[in-house]
Amino acid sequence: MLSLSSLLKRTLPLVIQSAEAHRKPRWLPVAKSKIYRIPKRPVISEEERLELLRLHNNYKTQMRSIKRFYHEEMIKEKSSRESASSEMSQRIEAEEWARCVELNEKWNAQVALDRQERRKLEMAEQDEYALKRMERADVLQKERIAKASEEIRRQKELSPTFITPETLEAAIDHAIANPTDYNFAIDLKGNRYEGRDVQITYAKENKAAKSASA
Amino acid sequence: MTTSVIKYVGRATDFKGKTLWEIIGNLKNFGVGRIIVRSVFERYPEPSYMKIVKVETTPDEERRRVRIWVEKTFRGKKLPNLTEIYRTSYKPDYKLIPKNEEAKLLNATAVHETQEILPNRIEMPALMKKFIIKDHENKGLEIVSDFTMPISYNHSPNRVKRIAKDNEKPTVQFTMGLGKPASPSLYEGVPLS
Repeated sequence: MLSLSSLLKRTLPLVIQSAEAHRKPRWLPVAKSKIYRIPKRPVISEEERLELLRLHNNYKTQMRSIKRFYHEEMIKEKSSRESASSEMSQRIEAEEWARCVELNEKWNAQVALDRQERRKLEMAEQDEYALKRMERADVLQKERIAKASEEIRRQKELSPTFITPETLEAAIDHAIANPTDYNFAIDLKGNRYEGRDVQITYAKENKAAKSASA
Repeated sequence: MTTSVIKYVGRATDFKGKTLWEIIGNLKNFGVGRIIVRSVFERYPEPSYMKIVKVETTPDEERRRVRIWVEKTFRGKKLPNLTEIYRTSYKPDYKLIPKNEEAKLLNATAVHETQEILPNRIEMPALMKKFIIKDHENKGLEIVSDFTMPISYNHSPNRVKRIAKDNEKPTVQFTMGLGKPASPSLYEGVPLS
């Protein structure tokens, strides 16, 4: 809790009022209550009006001539500066140009050296790469040839069994004479009975054993 | 556009009358051949009036304005060229002269004339003189002795006073000081040097 003495001895006031100018922001329209208010115009005597008019006219004439004077001086100075630069500093400019050219050539020579070096390295790299590629291509080609020749050998070995126009008739006859039936059936024990029209004969002893037990 | 009841809003103005379009838009043939006046120019004793020669209407965005060409007579002096009125046509300050009063204006002979010659040079202000001396010293230029500069005037076709040419002697003199008061009664007890 604050003690009474500390409250009384405080340096700052308890409530601070700030005196801000109370003003309508610029972007708000005229207040409703002020729409029809017509501000009073200042009333000045004829004497004063004439004198003020004279003073204002004087002031405007004076300021206009001063402004015009300095404006023209600025333009004059600028043009003179440009013409001076065109005469006097042409030599300086030429020297500067020569210096720049020299420097540029020096840089160019250095860059050319660097470029040669770099090109050499690049060429070596490219050669190496190309050689490697060629070697690999050779190996691949050799492999492919070996594979092909192997295939040819195999086919040559098989060639006597091929059906040629001469052996066609014999092959047909052979096929008709030996029909192959791929159908088959399976019994519960997994025995295979090949052929569609094969008569299935069960083992006799099994049947006898069954009938005996029954 | 025009209403009989006028309720004023905002600041008071010196203008008195209608905008140009309010007048011209209601007239036959847009009022070509009629005479209008600006009421602010009625303060002069000599007549100032304008005769409409040509009228061009403006697009809708500029509906308060109209572009017209007039033969302008300012303070009794007729200007040699046609004057275009466009930028000021919105000002509610124009007045149409009735046909029976036109003759009075046209027959008026009073012309504002003056033999005054305005100076074409003015002396520099004191500080500017010192500044220029210093400036020329710093830049190593020759020391100036002529401390005058040309006066520049705004161009106006209505100007009556002549501007001095070359070495002509002006009848009035402008200075950088206070000058001669127009109303000395305001300066009573003030030393004018």
